[in-house]
Amino acid sequence: MKNKLALLALTVALCAVGAPLFAHHGSAAYDDSHPTILKNVSVTKVNWGNPHTLLLFDAKDDKGNVRHWVAEANAASAISTTGWTKNAIQPGDMVTVYLYAARNGQPLGRIGKVVLPDGREFGTGELIGDRPSVCDQDFGNGGNESAACRPDGRKTNNKE
Amino acid sequence: MREGFVSPTVVMLALLAWSSLAAAQNARPVPQSGGGIPETQNARRADDGPGGPAPVHDFTGMWLGPEEAALANRIPPMTPAGQAKLKLNIPDPFSATSNDPWKTCDPFGMPRAANNQIGQLGFATMPNRLIMLIGFRMWREIWMDGRPAPKNIGEKGGPSTMTFGYSVGHWEGDHTLVIDTYGMDENTWADRRGYPHSAKAHVIERYDRPDHNHLNLTETIDDPVYYTQSFIIGKGAWRWARAQEDPKAAQIPFTEEHLCVPSQAIEYMKLLGDPADEDSVTGNKPKK
Repeated sequence: MKNKLALLALTVALCAVGAPLFAHHGSAAYDDSHPTILKNVSVTKVNWGNPHTLLLFDAKDDKGNVRHWVAEANAASAISTTGWTKNAIQPGDMVTVYLYAARNGQPLGRIGKVVLPDGREFGTGELIGDRPSVCDQDFGNGGNESAACRPDGRKTNNKE
Repeated sequence: MREGFVSPTVVMLALLAWSSLAAAQNARPVPQSGGGIPETQNARRADDGPGGPAPVHDFTGMWLGPEEAALANRIPPMTPAGQAKLKLNIPDPFSATSNDPWKTCDPFGMPRAANNQIGQLGFATMPNRLIMLIGFRMWREIWMDGRPAPKNIGEKGGPSTMTFGYSVGHWEGDHTLVIDTYGMDENTWADRRGYPHSAKAHVIERYDRPDHNHLNLTETIDDPVYYTQSFIIGKGAWRWARAQEDPKAAQIPFTEEHLCVPSQAIEYMKLLGDPADEDSVTGNKPKK
């Protein structure tokens, strides 16, 4: 019993840390103003792996038409530490997805969290992405946003 | 039964009981596998402190750190050849217009492997060599027997350049490992920003272990073909992976299976990266 409690506590702690897990990928393509909530969507496929895990699912829009969505989570190696394992979500599962939708209106997004029918949640709900570039100091943080510090500077996120 | 006679069966049973008792007393607990949470570079926890003095000339084991090294912003002036090469390297690997080799999981090579995706770093020993276990489950070979690196690498009659170059190392003092690497293939990038390096580059890594639990890196590039002076390109810092010496605490998997899978990377761009069209949002235009 003690070991189970300790494991649970560690799992919760790991879920809560909110580490910058997307340091290698910008979030500029996604609307970060608020998450889109898609309830009771039908999972069609899980592309479990690195560098990104993809969740493919069907959801009905306001008019009742089915849209085929593709949403990305972090790398499998990273999310597995939060309890989201390869077999945790299967095709046919009905889940609720909180995601940050693509700005161009395509059925694409970055997952904030997934809620399973039994109430388990994977993810914190936050949009994880680039941090602001740090170009005025001797050393920057080395993430995707560091490209902006080149002489010809390449913007990689919408936080500049 | 005759007086004083001990039945062989009794003797056998006694022997069996004694050996079972001895075995139970000497038995070690069997480590358990599965169901554990891997040691992950992304997990934040309180620093474990120094953990005692560092062993002499020994980094053996697994180290965990942030995904990326801190990258220098103070890059010296580049030669015209360096500037031209820099323009060709377009970073941001999951955008449509990038030509970062990472997009298709091409190996980083050196010097980039020392400063990009460095969350897991392992050291192991083979005869005359140190083996460095680096990001995406790749490895480097560091020759420690005093031999010099080959000469004339990449020149006619000389050995070929290699993606990870040729590395030779030596200890300075008790706790600092210095690695010199030459002959790195110039198709690889110096870092994720796309800074280039030539085949003539000399990379110096200094790994310092100030105490048992910490390891620090300073990576320097000396490349007169592309840069007007040598410079520090990145700094890394790792902590000792907790519990790796305790079979009861260490779990399988011990560390994350950190991979870059080409088929998954290509499918990612097809399903999400390209259609999400980050470049239109950031204003990066494709070259015409």
